[in-house]
Amino acid sequence: MSTPLQVLVVDDELAMRESIAAWLIQDGQQAAKAEGGREALAMMEQREFDLALVDIKMPGMDGIELLRRIKEGHPDTLVIIITAYGSIESAVEAMKAGASDYLLKPFDPEHLMLLLEKMGRQRRLMQENQMLRQRLAEGQMAGFEDMVGGSQDMLKVFDQIEEVAATDAPVLIVGETGTGKELVARAIHNRSARSFGPFVAINCGAQSESLLESELFGHERGAFTGAVKARRGRLEMADGGTLFLDEVGEISQKMQVSLLRVLEDGSFLRVGGGQPLTSDFRLICATHRNLPELISAGEFRQDFYYRTNVFSVTVPPLRQRREDVIPLAEHFIAVFAQETGKVPPELEDKARRALISYSWPGNVRELRNIMERAVIVSKSGFIGLEQLTFLDEGPKPGSTALSLAEMETEHIRRVLQAHGWNITQAAATLGIDRTTLGRKIKKAGLRSP
Amino acid sequence: MTAGGAPAPQVEVVPLGRVNSTAAQVVAANLQALLELDAMVVEPWPEPAQALVAARGQYDAGIIMQELATPQGGPLRLGLMGKDLCVPFLTYVLGESQLGGRAAVMSLHRLSEGEGGSRAPRHVMLERAAKVGLHEIAHVLGLEHCRTAGCLMRFSAGLTTLDRLHMGFCPACQRDLTRLRMDLPARAPAR
Ligand SMILES: [Zn+2]
Ligand SMILES: [Zn+2]
Repeated sequence: MSTPLQVLVVDDELAMRESIAAWLIQDGQQAAKAEGGREALAMMEQREFDLALVDIKMPGMDGIELLRRIKEGHPDTLVIIITAYGSIESAVEAMKAGASDYLLKPFDPEHLMLLLEKMGRQRRLMQENQMLRQRLAEGQMAGFEDMVGGSQDMLKVFDQIEEVAATDAPVLIVGETGTGKELVARAIHNRSARSFGPFVAINCGAQSESLLESELFGHERGAFTGAVKARRGRLEMADGGTLFLDEVGEISQKMQVSLLRVLEDGSFLRVGGGQPLTSDFRLICATHRNLPELISAGEFRQDFYYRTNVFSVTVPPLRQRREDVIPLAEHFIAVFAQETGKVPPELEDKARRALISYSWPGNVRELRNIMERAVIVSKSGFIGLEQLTFLDEGPKPGSTALSLAEMETEHIRRVLQAHGWNITQAAATLGIDRTTLGRKIKKAGLRSP
Repeated sequence: MTAGGAPAPQVEVVPLGRVNSTAAQVVAANLQALLELDAMVVEPWPEPAQALVAARGQYDAGIIMQELATPQGGPLRLGLMGKDLCVPFLTYVLGESQLGGRAAVMSLHRLSEGEGGSRAPRHVMLERAAKVGLHEIAHVLGLEHCRTAGCLMRFSAGLTTLDRLHMGFCPACQRDLTRLRMDLPARAPAR
C-alpha cells in the first residue's frame, strides 16, 4: 500500500481538468484543480503537492513559465507537462526546464498509469533524501554510528539484532537513557528488508501531546491555529521503511489508542483530515521506563504493550559492561580527533582507571560527551584526569569551564573549519593577520583534517 | 411511489444500441453472484448519438453516464456498448464510472481482441466483460483502485493486465464492499 500522491491539475479547459482530477481520485490519489498559473502558484503557497500536471498551452502564464516558477519556489514538486500531438519541440523545452516527463493529449491510459507509478517512486526517493538532510542538520548522525563492544551482554544484543532484522514484527528496545537505543533500532533497520526504505525517528518524550499528534499523523491546512500549510506526518514519511518511536513510555493513553488503530488496519487520518491514509511501516519503539510497572499503575495500556513488544531487545547499561568502556573511549577519541583535525591523544593510566570505575549514569552518551570535550581540551597529545569532567562527581574546580585559551583554540578551530582551512579568509573573519593566526594554530596543535 | 409495476432492481444493465445479449446476461449474473446485487438486463436504449465524438470515432463515456444516471433512490445503471469509448483526456477506456455515483458504462469493443490481431475465444471475451462490469460497479458503490496484485480493483488499461486479474476482490476490498453495500436500499422502490 502506498500513500496517495497529492496532485495539482492545471488546465484552462474545465472539462479536461475536471475529468483528469476525477480519474486521479478514482485511482486513490488526491487531486486539486487550478485553471491557470497564478491560481496554481497561490494554491502551492497553501499546501504541498507531490506532482503538478500542467497543460502547456494556457492563456496568460503558459505551462513552461509556470513550470519554471514551480521549480524555483517548490523544487520538490514534480511537474509533468501536458502537450498536444505534434508539438514535440515544446515537450523537449519542458524537459530542459525541469519537467519530470510529458504526456501527449489524449493520454494512453497504460502510459498514464506507469507514469504515476514512476512519480510515486520518485517522491519516495526525495522524501528519503529530505529525511537524511534533516537528520544531518540536526546532528543526529554525527559520530556514534557504530556500536562498540565485545562484552557478553553486547554480543547478545548483536545476535538479537540479527535475529529480529530477519522479521518484520514490532520491536521494543529497553535500556537506560544514553545506552544507544536508537543505534540498535537503526542497526535493525539497516539489516532488514526495509533497509532501502526510510528510517524515521521521533522522540515522543520531547513534545506536547498535540504537537506529537500532528508530528506523527500530519495535519491538514487550518486543522489548528498555526497550521498554515498541510503537512505530512512521520507515519506517512515512514511508508516502506521503519518508524522509530523513542521514549514511547511517555505517550498518553489516547495516543496509544490512536497508534493501536493504525497498527491494526494500517490506516489513519491527518489531524483535521477526512481522507483515510495508509502507510506500510515497521514499528520499533524504545523506552527507558519499566512498562510492566506502568501498566500495573494504570499508566500504560496493556494491549498497546503486547502489540509493540513482539520482540524485545535489552541494551545493558555501561556500568554492566565495563570491559567496553576503554574500547568505546578510544573509538570516540579517534572520531573526534579526526573531526577536529588533531592527532588522536592518548589516555593516561589515571584517566583510564577513572573511566573504568565511574558509575556512568548517562551511559554511552555521557562517555561520548566526555571524550568529545577531552579531545578538544587535550594538550601535548595526552588525556589526563584533568581533562575528564564527569557528570556525577560534580564539577572539579578549575576544570568545568573551558579556560580562556581553550575557548580561543576552539573558536579558531571552528572558524578554520567554516572556511575550509583557508587561512586568509579565516584570519579576516577572526580579525587578525595571517602570521598571527599561523602562530596560534601551531601553538594550539591544530591541524587541517 | 406509484402503484403497479414490479419493483426496480438495484442495478440495471442497459444495452446501448446493438449489443451482444449473452455478454449483457453474463455481466448481470456476475454482479449478482460476486457483489450480491440484485441486477437485471433491461430493454435496450438507442445508441447515444449525442455522445459521439466525430473526430475520434468514439463515444464520450462521461456524456453517456450523465444520460444513464437516475436520481437518488432509483436503480444504479451500467450501460453496455458495442462501440469504442473514450474520455477527453484518454485515448480509450474499457469502462468508466462515477465514483460513489449513480452510473457506469463499459464497452465490449476491445474485449474480443486476441493475441497478434486474432480474435479471442468467446469465453475469454465474456470473462473480460464480467471483470470490467464488476470493477466499474464497485467504483459506483464508492470503491477506489487497489494496489493488491490480482484484485479486481486494480487498474487495468489494457487486456494483458485485465486478463491477469482474478475474478474476485482482495479481502480488504471485500470488507469495504460489505460496508458500502449496506448503504444501498435492499430493492429500489418502483417508479
Ligand atoms: Zn477503475
Ligand atoms: Zn483490492
